[in-house]
Amino acid sequence: MKADEASLARLMVMSQKGDKQAYATLLSECQRWLSRYYSRRIAPAQLDDLVQETLMALHNKLVTWDSSRPFLPWMAAIARYRWVDHLRRLYRADECELVTDFAGQDDEPAIAARISIDRLLGMLPDPQARAIELVKIEGLSIAEASQATGQSESLVKVNIHRGLKKLAHMVEKA
Amino acid sequence: MTQNSDALIANLVGNLQPVKPLSFARGLGYALLAAAISALAVVAAFGIRPDVLAGRFDPVYLIATGLFLVLGIAAAVTVIVMSRPQVGTDHSGWVWAAAMVALLPVAALIVSFGGGSDILSRESIAHGLECLMVGGGASLLVFAILVGWLRKGAPTAPDRAGLLTGIAAGSLGIFAFSLHCADNDIVHIGLWHSGVVLLMAGLGRALVPPMVRW
Repeated sequence: MKADEASLARLMVMSQKGDKQAYATLLSECQRWLSRYYSRRIAPAQLDDLVQETLMALHNKLVTWDSSRPFLPWMAAIARYRWVDHLRRLYRADECELVTDFAGQDDEPAIAARISIDRLLGMLPDPQARAIELVKIEGLSIAEASQATGQSESLVKVNIHRGLKKLAHMVEKA
Repeated sequence: MTQNSDALIANLVGNLQPVKPLSFARGLGYALLAAAISALAVVAAFGIRPDVLAGRFDPVYLIATGLFLVLGIAAAVTVIVMSRPQVGTDHSGWVWAAAMVALLPVAALIVSFGGGSDILSRESIAHGLECLMVGGGASLLVFAILVGWLRKGAPTAPDRAGLLTGIAAGSLGIFAFSLHCADNDIVHIGLWHSGVVLLMAGLGRALVPPMVRW
């Protein structure tokens, strides 16, 4: 069963007042939501870590939710912030392999669907989208991506860097 | 991260404490209070413009000062809204206020190129630097309050939040100093008073993001 917006908001109100039982239920629901949300965006091996990181972020930022506003857009904003941060760290650490399968079941809430990576990549200039796709999604090395695209190796790196930066701006605005 | 999610959830539940949600009204109240304290401090330290004291207002002064006030409030409101994450929130309203304030330096450049004012005289530069320094100083309280608010919150665009913190602080700071500065020259206001906003915006963009990342 998937919890709806109204139930989650109610649980959150109780959690902010210190109700531990409500909070446990809320976090379990959030964990399920986040697993679905991230499953189409990152490699399965990294899923648990990112879900847990986001749960901690939700816990640390409980004060930032206001009961006059909806809950899911709040959680989605935190989720995508952590996701973008995760992408940045991946890029810095040069541990490629990002999303492996975008064809998973499409049962996410409408909010999450708005910011699918396909749509975002489509908004980047072609050379940047291609460099990110080859290196970050298909797992090619910089040299292989350079051969495949005809871009120099340094240009591939620059395009990935600039593309991820633009990607971060776009998801912030989504 | 090695523990499983159930253990993490149990741990987080165990640490739960009641929290008081960040309220928009409280955030804006703090920012406006800081702006008011800065304005009072400027008046106490430097005195108020004689024409304002006498109830006579120069139109250029009124328009320019009003524009800085509106930009400061618009940017501060945006910073406070940005401290609470939310998908789909539009944070671009301040751009219109900034565009209106940008007319001041444009007007200043047009007038000065037309020979309407001597912007390079020693006296003019010294007076401008005074506005830049004191206006910048009068920005610091608002700057600190907004940074503190962002640190409590969860801004998902730290770079923009930093830029806007600087714009809000600079605009409200120069608004405060405008209560003292008796210069109604559009060239002085457009270059030096707008310079405070630019200076603080640059500082905010450079210094704030590392302080508010989470």
